[in-house]
Amino acid sequence: MGYSGFEEKVGFFDNIIYGFQVTFQPINFLFCGIGVLVGTLVGVLPGIGPAGAMALLLPATFKVSPTSTLILLAGIYYGVQYGGSTTSILVNIPGEASSVVTCIDGYQMARQGRAGPALGIAAIGSFIAGTIANVGLMFVAVPLARAALRFGPPEYFALMCMGLIIVTYLAQGSILKAIMMALVGIILGSIGLDVITGLPRFTFGINELTDGVGIIPLVMGLFGISEIFVNLEESLEREIFKTHIKNLWPSLKDWAQAKWAVVRGSIIGFLLGILPGGGAVIATFVAYAVEKKVAKEPQRFGKGAIEGVAGPESANNAAAGSSLIPLLSLGIPPNPIMAIFFSALIIHGIQPGPLLIKQHPDLFWGLVASLYLGNFLLLILNLPLISMWVKVLEIPYKLLFPLILLFCLIGAYSMNNVVFDLYVMIFFGVVGWIMKKFGYEGAPLILAYVLGPMLENSLRQSLLISGGSFLIFVSRPISAIALGIAFLLLLSNLFPYFKKQHEIYEEFKE
Amino acid sequence: MKTFDQTSSLFWLLVSISVFVESLRLGIGTLKNPGMGFLTFSASGILGILSLILFFKASFKKEEVKTAPFFAGMFWKRIPFVLIVLILYSRMMPILGYLISTFLLMTALFWILERKKIAFVFVSSILSTLVTYLVFSKWLNCQFPDGLFGF
Repeated sequence: MGYSGFEEKVGFFDNIIYGFQVTFQPINFLFCGIGVLVGTLVGVLPGIGPAGAMALLLPATFKVSPTSTLILLAGIYYGVQYGGSTTSILVNIPGEASSVVTCIDGYQMARQGRAGPALGIAAIGSFIAGTIANVGLMFVAVPLARAALRFGPPEYFALMCMGLIIVTYLAQGSILKAIMMALVGIILGSIGLDVITGLPRFTFGINELTDGVGIIPLVMGLFGISEIFVNLEESLEREIFKTHIKNLWPSLKDWAQAKWAVVRGSIIGFLLGILPGGGAVIATFVAYAVEKKVAKEPQRFGKGAIEGVAGPESANNAAAGSSLIPLLSLGIPPNPIMAIFFSALIIHGIQPGPLLIKQHPDLFWGLVASLYLGNFLLLILNLPLISMWVKVLEIPYKLLFPLILLFCLIGAYSMNNVVFDLYVMIFFGVVGWIMKKFGYEGAPLILAYVLGPMLENSLRQSLLISGGSFLIFVSRPISAIALGIAFLLLLSNLFPYFKKQHEIYEEFKE
Repeated sequence: MKTFDQTSSLFWLLVSISVFVESLRLGIGTLKNPGMGFLTFSASGILGILSLILFFKASFKKEEVKTAPFFAGMFWKRIPFVLIVLILYSRMMPILGYLISTFLLMTALFWILERKKIAFVFVSSILSTLVTYLVFSKWLNCQFPDGLFGF
């Protein structure tokens, strides 16, 4: 039965039931469990990051279905959001960038002997936000995919341009440098065979480059190896705040203070996650700022306000769920993590795009149901296992760093079983380390690297259709709006007011 | 950051010029029929302009906070050592095979941080090599090279 017939005969809830049938298949259930556990572990341990962990486990999924693969990757992604809060609250070191804000009030709560409620509200808020994001995903992705069927190359080109500009605009450092990195990403993405002529470009006679630079060694180098180098430069000792964790369940007073923070964080996270270029990190900053703004006693923030934990922790999980929307309905990855999802789908022979939901209902609805299951597993597994994750934190980094390095090497090699990928990873590890020192970010580069080939195809096809006229991009409403937004964002940097706002945002982040 | 920005902008300028020239060689085509060098031509052109902007911006900027030197960390000497070990590992893995080369790699890496505890280094290296071999090669079917000795 084709999906159109399928869709006519079964309703919305039948789709969800169908999704749960897929998710509860033993292999998918197992992968969901492994994903959330690995994700939490990665979130707890600073150093490897979700992108690196996904890249590492990707080769292990070659023999299973694409549905199981996506379930595993999604589990890692939102597991990381859960796990990252543990280190922020207990050690004042964010396991992941999306947990940076949690340090501010979470650690203060721990110092006041309230580590339990802080961890509890982080986990419960994440569960609620994750569930809200799943519901939103179901309601938004399907109609958006239907609408996207009418999109042509100009619309895709404009949307990708907008995504790249937003990524650079929201960059943590200099916007100029972020745009430069996006351009370098586009150039890197063009290495290999040209899809239209079939001729090699920028391969410099190296046969291994004919297929382009692999995303796994690139991501592992830029995010994994470079992070290890940064850590190696410093003393590897870290201090863990010794506290007895009790009463994980927040009190009624805590609930009263945090309930609306969870709701606001979920909504903010969901909306920012959908935006191309958005994602969990930005969502947490915005959620914290909003909480401080609406608080009756803003002076409590920074001194252990539970809303300062509830808002950002809800926001990062909601963003993790909603960032799947552009990927699954438009085929456009909105952030570097989704770029790995995108690559995983391509490796499994599935073209992400508006037809994905129609052609692979098992994948879409299975993934949606797995998000519910994963969130539930995280809640029931993580709260009782908090003490275990604290023990994990006590493993000395000097023991972890060689293992993380070995995992990166195995992940890069096992993708294609070629040693050349190891050299690529080491090279980009050094590049990433130097980039960090010089204030350049890896995220715009990765996103542009993935979007580059699609951007090029859309541009060339659009110009072929229009007979060489760039007016095609402004004569169609969707592409005109997307390019208009991108243009305004670029222009906003020139105006003092917006520049000042961005500076305030930067100061806040620092 | 002033010197860093000046140096890096000149590096990116060099990259952009190289890509620009290569794009022209590949052929940028026409607007009606863009060639395979069209996008990289445009991207490298913009990259070159932005590199120049960054260079001039950094040159005319008054540095308020003194930037830390490039090798600011106390233990930066570990990095070149780890780098050499990683390159040697990549070179030797196809020759020596996964088990031997990984054992040597892990010994070197653990030794960097725990020089006095030789027994710890030895046991950790053997354990990490064997466990990863079992998990990735035997369980997950990753194809590691056998090397000269056949294992």
